[in-house]
Amino acid sequence: MARVVTPAQKSINTAAAWVVALIIFFPILWTFLTSFKPEEVAVASPPVFVGFDWTMQNYHDVIAQRGYGSYFWNSVVISVGSTVLGMIIAIPAAWAMAFVHGKRTKDLLMWMLSTKMMPAAGVLVPIYLMGKSLGLIDTRFMLMIVLMLMNLPIIVWMLYTYFREIPGDILEAARMDGANLMSEILYVLTPMAIPGIASTLLLNVILAWNESFWTLNLTTFQAAPLTKFIAGFSSPQGLFYGKLSAASVMAIVPIMVIGWFSQKQLVRGLTFGAVK
Amino acid sequence: MTHPTTAVPVAAPKNGRETSLEQQRLRAAFWFLAPMLLMLFCVAAWPLMRSIWFSFTDTSLTDLHGGKWVGFDNYLSYRQLSSGRVIWRGTLVDPAWWNAVWNTVKFAVVSVSLETMFGLVVALVLNARFAGRGLVRAAILIPWAIPTIVSAKMWGWMLNDQFGIINDILLNLGLISEKIAWAANLDTAMAAVILVDVWKTTPFMALLCLAGLQMVPGDIYEAARIDGIHPVKVFFRVTLPLIRPALMVAVIFRMLDALRMFDLVYVLTPNSAATKTMSIISRENLIEFDKFAYGSAQSSLLFAIIAIFVALYIWLGKVDLGGEKSK
Repeated sequence: MARVVTPAQKSINTAAAWVVALIIFFPILWTFLTSFKPEEVAVASPPVFVGFDWTMQNYHDVIAQRGYGSYFWNSVVISVGSTVLGMIIAIPAAWAMAFVHGKRTKDLLMWMLSTKMMPAAGVLVPIYLMGKSLGLIDTRFMLMIVLMLMNLPIIVWMLYTYFREIPGDILEAARMDGANLMSEILYVLTPMAIPGIASTLLLNVILAWNESFWTLNLTTFQAAPLTKFIAGFSSPQGLFYGKLSAASVMAIVPIMVIGWFSQKQLVRGLTFGAVK
Repeated sequence: MTHPTTAVPVAAPKNGRETSLEQQRLRAAFWFLAPMLLMLFCVAAWPLMRSIWFSFTDTSLTDLHGGKWVGFDNYLSYRQLSSGRVIWRGTLVDPAWWNAVWNTVKFAVVSVSLETMFGLVVALVLNARFAGRGLVRAAILIPWAIPTIVSAKMWGWMLNDQFGIINDILLNLGLISEKIAWAANLDTAMAAVILVDVWKTTPFMALLCLAGLQMVPGDIYEAARIDGIHPVKVFFRVTLPLIRPALMVAVIFRMLDALRMFDLVYVLTPNSAATKTMSIISRENLIEFDKFAYGSAQSSLLFAIIAIFVALYIWLGKVDLGGEKSK
């Protein structure tokens, strides 16, 4: 924007922006601080901000006593696995939609959108039955498949909007030079679409990591990821807010790292490409 | 990626290569789409059809294959007593269901409006030039990116009546005279749920509006400034119409999520009649209360409500999904 900004105006802008950011960020900050507090400090009234004995005890307790590691590992396996599976199906599908023009492309997109209207509760039992007859209940594989399918419309759509921006002429030229379909997709399209594919990957990992309806309803213990762990977090004896905060911080750090690299793409992906 | 030169086996005959290539591509397109369509059919269309089928039977969770066709009884049925009185039964006359419908609509409308409004304001603030812009943007996106379960738990604790920091802050500011159990109290539970949702989603809306704002060329503002037009008027006459397409799409996706809302209520205000949504109540009937067919009817209704809503919205708002027209 080519507006002239005076220094005074700039510092007002800066102050306003930081105040807004601080308000929004405060709950995260508070959780972060609490995770380092001894339990009795965590519930102190009036609240203590920084003047306490910082301790790693909560992290230690969560990891050592509550089997945090296995939940964390389940989360990693499920979100990465569902993403990889999803991409294997989504890339060819998006290629077909973007480069082979058919009358039905638009209908297909609308149909994919309509799956977003489906209440998860409504299809829970049929899907549970399917999983049960295949002996897959409470397995990571089942969750990988289900989450992959739930996110499939969004990632196909997102890839489609990226692919559409790649000039078809380049692919055409590759074909003229004698490239077959396999090499057209693998060596011409994919390298050009790497940024789009990468952000789709990241978005899908985040969505799978955060998903809660299916992870809560389709797992008991074996395949339970972090969302299940945190949703069921309570303590029969005594205070647990410090430990809850520690568990939360550990669950959101990976997402914060991924989110940092992909903030722009996230917005784009979640609006099905309407915002570039 | 390896060298492109290593994989160029061309077996097609010279004559008619064009058409055979085209055919090959069409065939490939079909086989590429097939797995996706099959998958979507398996997890979306088929379960949904089964669910709708169940809603017309008296199936129970313990005997899923023994259900008999009962027509619309789960939705609405009536029986005339010998005294001449008529008794209506079914979801459509169930006050708990209508309570859930009302809760969901209230939640969706209020939270999405607030998110859109605050999102615009935050975007306007962040659109200005200031120090540390990248960091601030990343910081405000975090609430959106973290699992809802985590934010529900965090807020549940911050809103707690004994230990919660929100009560402490409000007491110190003199806004309340005694500590309130925000999530447990029937009068404030919905407000608490909306608060958390607004906190979580405003950043997303803001970034989206921001992306829209950055597509507005700076000269427009410059021209308006030189012509001496009031900034508020510029906002409503220039900025808003320009970012409207992006906003419309954002609102519809938020609405879809809000109407199906489950996890936030499930963790923050479980079992509170003031916040039970359609998703929550149908899941309860499906799984916990052993009224499987009844719950199926409710989830079918939920689907129908959302579908009608989306169709109306796309039609009335002329929403440009997928950026079709802008291409």
